[in-house]
Amino acid sequence: MGAYILRRLALAVPTLVGVTVVVFALIRLVPGDPARLVLGLQASEEEVQRLRVQLGLDQPLPVQYARFLGRLVQGDLGRSVVTGEPVTREIAARLPATVQLAVASTLLATVAGMAAGVISATRQYSWVDYLVMTVALFGISLPVFWLGLMLMLLFSVHLRWLPAGGYGTPAHLVLPTITLAAFSVAIIARMTRSSLLEVLHQDYVRTAWAKGLGARAVVLRHALKNALIPVVTVIGLQFGGLLGGAILTETVFAWPGMGRLLVGAIVARDYPVVQGAVLVFAALFTLVNLAVDVLYAYVDPRIHYG
Amino acid sequence: MRRYGLPGLVVAALLAALVAGADGPVGAQSVPRQLRIAIGIDADRLDPAEQTTTTIANIVDYMFETLVDLHPIKQQIVPRLATRWQVSRDGLTYTFTLRRGVRFHDGTPLNAEAVKFSLERLKDPKVAMALRFLVQPVQSVEAVGEDTVRIRLNKVTPTFLSDLSTTQFAIVSPAAVQRAGDRWRSAPVGGGTGPYMFKEWRRGDSILLERNPNYWGKKPLFDEILFRVVPDAGTRLTQVLAGDVHQAMLPPAPDVKGLRRNPQVKVVEAPSDRVIFVAMNTQWGPFKDVRVRQAMNYAVNKKAILASVLFDLGTVSDSPCPPMMFGYHKVRDGGWPFSPTRAKELLAQAGYRDGFEVNFFTPTGRYIQDFQFAQAIAGQLRNVGVRANVTTMDWPSYVAMIQTPLERTRIQMLVLGWAWPVLDCDGVLYGQFHSSSHPPRGLGPAFYSNPRVDQLLDQQRQEANVERRKALLKEAQETIWNDAPWIWLWSQKWYVVTTRNLDGVLIHPIEKWTALCEPQEPAVGHHCVNWR
Repeated sequence: MGAYILRRLALAVPTLVGVTVVVFALIRLVPGDPARLVLGLQASEEEVQRLRVQLGLDQPLPVQYARFLGRLVQGDLGRSVVTGEPVTREIAARLPATVQLAVASTLLATVAGMAAGVISATRQYSWVDYLVMTVALFGISLPVFWLGLMLMLLFSVHLRWLPAGGYGTPAHLVLPTITLAAFSVAIIARMTRSSLLEVLHQDYVRTAWAKGLGARAVVLRHALKNALIPVVTVIGLQFGGLLGGAILTETVFAWPGMGRLLVGAIVARDYPVVQGAVLVFAALFTLVNLAVDVLYAYVDPRIHYG
Repeated sequence: MRRYGLPGLVVAALLAALVAGADGPVGAQSVPRQLRIAIGIDADRLDPAEQTTTTIANIVDYMFETLVDLHPIKQQIVPRLATRWQVSRDGLTYTFTLRRGVRFHDGTPLNAEAVKFSLERLKDPKVAMALRFLVQPVQSVEAVGEDTVRIRLNKVTPTFLSDLSTTQFAIVSPAAVQRAGDRWRSAPVGGGTGPYMFKEWRRGDSILLERNPNYWGKKPLFDEILFRVVPDAGTRLTQVLAGDVHQAMLPPAPDVKGLRRNPQVKVVEAPSDRVIFVAMNTQWGPFKDVRVRQAMNYAVNKKAILASVLFDLGTVSDSPCPPMMFGYHKVRDGGWPFSPTRAKELLAQAGYRDGFEVNFFTPTGRYIQDFQFAQAIAGQLRNVGVRANVTTMDWPSYVAMIQTPLERTRIQMLVLGWAWPVLDCDGVLYGQFHSSSHPPRGLGPAFYSNPRVDQLLDQQRQEANVERRKALLKEAQETIWNDAPWIWLWSQKWYVVTTRNLDGVLIHPIEKWTALCEPQEPAVGHHCVNWR
């Protein structure tokens, strides 16, 4: 297992280098001049040109890329064009908020989604099943910004139970978590339901019923564990995605996470921050995928990494 | 009953919320310890010299002060850190007397050396001062005594005193700047003289200031001021309605009408110096002909669009320079008249009886209702046979498009807004209509060129005599107006929504607001924010 993990981590390096090439090229392919955007429309062309030289933007692209890589191997992601601060500091300031929200909403989505999926699968074609799946459909279809604003109107403006956006206390976490989890709950519920249904019709489950086991044991211990593989995959993907920030939820709730940092950097053509943030996402995503693969072996003992 | 317990509760809660309506608790009458203000963007830098947006400069203004102030109502230069000043007869030497007994937040005294340090710093290439040309005229700064500073200019600069009132020219503590080093631009601890002091910047979330207990002027009302970064306009409004913040900038424009009637809140709105216009590329096809450009002006009903698309958040332009600027001259009362008949006549005279097709670019979300009003304009142009195809794009691409030189430009017609931190017509006229403003050197996308206008604009920059300068600016405005390189639209308003208890919030014409006393100098009659 240890050797497997090490091999996977080594394999991640070429992936991440590939990511740097793509991001580096993409952000420069779209029109826009970071120096002009930072200094504004009224700044004189001389001033803008001076900043371009300071930022090294007057150099050919291969030179710029080589400099970027050279710094990267020393753990330096450069400095933000907009704030002049080291990119690592910018990301470090935003990562905790993103991780909090991603962990909270993944936990909520996992618990609620799997519960809904199990209830639905065990009562297939009953009104409960229809109700759960209809709600799940809403969860997938509702635009996040609308759901977020509606929750705020209800719980912040009318009831005054929770703050309308912002960051800091556990109370601030509640509404964004629900908003963000709505989509994942729905996906996880549907995946749990279909995967569990498939398993519930298999021979060994019939054997378990025949042995006279209770419903709880049959469904949760025998069936669910075998139905978990696709569900774990989905949860892993959702969690990985959420670690990359949730731009709409972060915007609506004024949540200072990575999504807003990245989109803000794209809009300002803040090349170093875009590169740094995407690299961090890619690394996190790779780690989550690895964790999911390791979890497979735990969930299904037939899976074995040599 | 048991079975439906939970859903029943939720439904009951929803119903209760609907019945309860907007009658939430209203803020207490006592002054809150912390005033909370929702802003739309996070700060980039907090060094006054490196300010590029008025919203952030606005925050910096609570901590840092300039030698002179622009009186927000009288719109004249009044004392702040300098109590008086003298200008030499040739207009090249300014001598300032500093206010006595003022100390920076770090305890060091405000003196002539600090002023010299602050102004000379603006020339340091390591300081990213966007409007560096504003300091170009400064030849030397000399500390004559403890509280006397002499500034020599290398050329006559009529706007110099006004320039000194902008945030970039704030006086900073040399000790604090040196102590902070690399951290200065993100944490300017102890560096200002203003009524509030820097406490904490939580990136993407908030900026916290605390009361300066030793402030030389009127004591600040609140213990702390928290600027909270809330990018979504709808959320900013929600936070005011929920009582989470006391003031929010720019709630969604379509909500303003309803908010004006809502007794729980106050909408504070005032004209700004940001002119919004449609620039026509005067060197492209039909727009080479002045009659076509005038026809375009006749074809657009500014008043109707302002009322129905902008919810009256603007004032129709009646000159190339907005009112409240020095040198403003009203060229045409009520703006360019709306007359589709006249437009069609002019188009026919120019040989475009059947109209023509034109690319029309607009940003989205940059100016109030920009994409929406661009479509309204395109609709009105269609009535006179001009088929304008509206296209939008993200702001960086938009700016890149404007920066393209004439040979390669895609611009035929586009929406743009222009504002200036100094209330002087020079900013908009020189920046947009002088030949030197053609992209890529400048950002005047109309590629407008008129030798007489160039001459007038150059002369007024050298004219120390106020009346003669006004006359030059007047002729320039009249000439440009009739040459019609733009479709003259409106100057847009700036607006905030506050809880009803917050009283006396002022909107400056340069898109700033204030919840302090303005100006700080009591002798000229100041106006303070209050809590009722």
